[in-house]
Amino acid sequence: MNKQRPRALSLFVYLLPLFIFLLSLCVGTVHIPIKDLLKTLISPIFPSLKQGLPANSLNIIFNVRIPRLLLGLAVGASLSVSGASLQALFKNPLVNEYILGISSGAAFGAALSMVFFGGNIPPQISAFVFAIIAVLIVLLIARKSDSPIIALLLTGVIVSAFFSALLSLVEFLASPYELQALFNWLMGNLWKAGWTDLAISLPLIGVGILVLVLMRWRLNVLSMSDEEARSLGINIRKEKLLVIFLTALITAAATAVAGIIGWIGLIIPHLVRMMVGVDNRKVVPMSAALGAGFLMVADNITRSFASFEVPVGIFTSLIGIPFFIVLLRKSKKAWL
Amino acid sequence: MSVTVQNLTYRYRNFSLHVEHLQFESAKMTSIVGPNGAGKTTFLKCISAILPAAKGSLFIEGRDIGAMRENERARLLAYVPQEHATAFNYTVLDFVLMGRAAYLPIFSSPSPGDVTIAQEALEFVSLGHFASRPYFQLSSGERRLVLIARALAQKSNILILDEPTSFLDPKHETEILALAKKLAEEKKKTIIVTLHNLDMAVKYSDAMVFMKEGQVVAFGKPDDILNEALLENVYEIKMSIIRYDGRTFIVK
Repeated sequence: MNKQRPRALSLFVYLLPLFIFLLSLCVGTVHIPIKDLLKTLISPIFPSLKQGLPANSLNIIFNVRIPRLLLGLAVGASLSVSGASLQALFKNPLVNEYILGISSGAAFGAALSMVFFGGNIPPQISAFVFAIIAVLIVLLIARKSDSPIIALLLTGVIVSAFFSALLSLVEFLASPYELQALFNWLMGNLWKAGWTDLAISLPLIGVGILVLVLMRWRLNVLSMSDEEARSLGINIRKEKLLVIFLTALITAAATAVAGIIGWIGLIIPHLVRMMVGVDNRKVVPMSAALGAGFLMVADNITRSFASFEVPVGIFTSLIGIPFFIVLLRKSKKAWL
Repeated sequence: MSVTVQNLTYRYRNFSLHVEHLQFESAKMTSIVGPNGAGKTTFLKCISAILPAAKGSLFIEGRDIGAMRENERARLLAYVPQEHATAFNYTVLDFVLMGRAAYLPIFSSPSPGDVTIAQEALEFVSLGHFASRPYFQLSSGERRLVLIARALAQKSNILILDEPTSFLDPKHETEILALAKKLAEEKKKTIIVTLHNLDMAVKYSDAMVFMKEGQVVAFGKPDDILNEALLENVYEIKMSIIRYDGRTFIVK
């Protein structure tokens, strides 16, 4: 087998977010040429370069585009990594953070903090608490069933619906101004990106992804049946809870800032599996890179193709669902 | 290493397993036989700590299996499941590598040394050339061998196989039992296996355990314990034992 091709492919995937990040800094309502961009980027080190730059470009780059791209990168990576990890953990390629109720729990928690606590409790923390509660309810109900997968999917739907109802209640009680903000946020977009939110979300996402990447091979073993994983010498209760804790953490940290951005956790890991196979040693880190690149590109498209911004969550769902159907039909599940 | 069972009880719904005392000898192959539902698989799963047996009922060389940590136990004892389903199509080598889990901390990936051990295990079951093949492409006989290779990569002294020959053709059946025998004789492993084919069990086993309704009915060397009355008691049909040319045949 030719070993060069997969190696080149993974190098390409890992470098992709870096290129997209740099190129995307030029994209937006105000076009900034690459020459000016480079000058702006190094201007903090060489202050003399600031002269001759268009007014505002410093502000646009450092306070608008960089935070927004960082958020896109982090959210794209965390949704993809949590998707890939949960699929391995639940031994089911169709599972993701939405199906397990994690997203709805996180969305409710974040909304609760925004409307009732006025941000005194960071929405990330409140989102995390309810994400964990939601997924633990799902696990508790599904645990005793004879067909765990069906039970898991069904209880996931039920628990999601329950938290969506709670979220509706929060929306109902919110003031019109808060409602407008909630509505924009929930549809999934990155406009809220600012350094204050990033200061909380980025470290949480960074640590969560790092630990899951360290556990990438363990996820292979955890994707075996529980009986097998136990006989192979794994404390499955402890390790399962750790993975659930970490995926809930990164999903909550992403959802609290960017709202619900769907389908990335399903599409990206599948794309990676089609490219490099199912070994999680490759799937988990490559999903992070590809997911980060994908969301930055999707956000570029939605913020520049019309005179108004379309929430990127709508875009990922509109693209993601047909894309997924085509993939399923075409490849006859061969990569699963 | 020998495995000792001491006053083991396991209940599940209206089934109950009870074994008073039994010892699986070191470097010997012991087969457990009996009708469907006799509790053979439950017994194996208790020994492997997949099902929770009470502490103080199972011992490896005097050490309580129930009190061991998962990875500690998995280094002494490997379990090869009867049926196997996986949602993900790992390569054969990735699959066998999972046998190294008991030696690797939670945040580690296998080292080149682990890969060598997995590759050697595959070669031992004569599937070395299958390393990069997708698991889903294998026949059921080949999948059994891969599962055995994964257990061998665990480098445990005790190997427990749950019906390793069910649904296999005679050639693969013979191959797998000969392999198990070889592991007992050459690698001095303690082999515990459940079987349905009595002729094969008699031919390959150093000791046999007959089970019925969750109880051990007879235990000992095949030649010492095998008789027509025992077979009729265990299986509830008449069978004849024919000894010819130094071999034993059981005719239904």
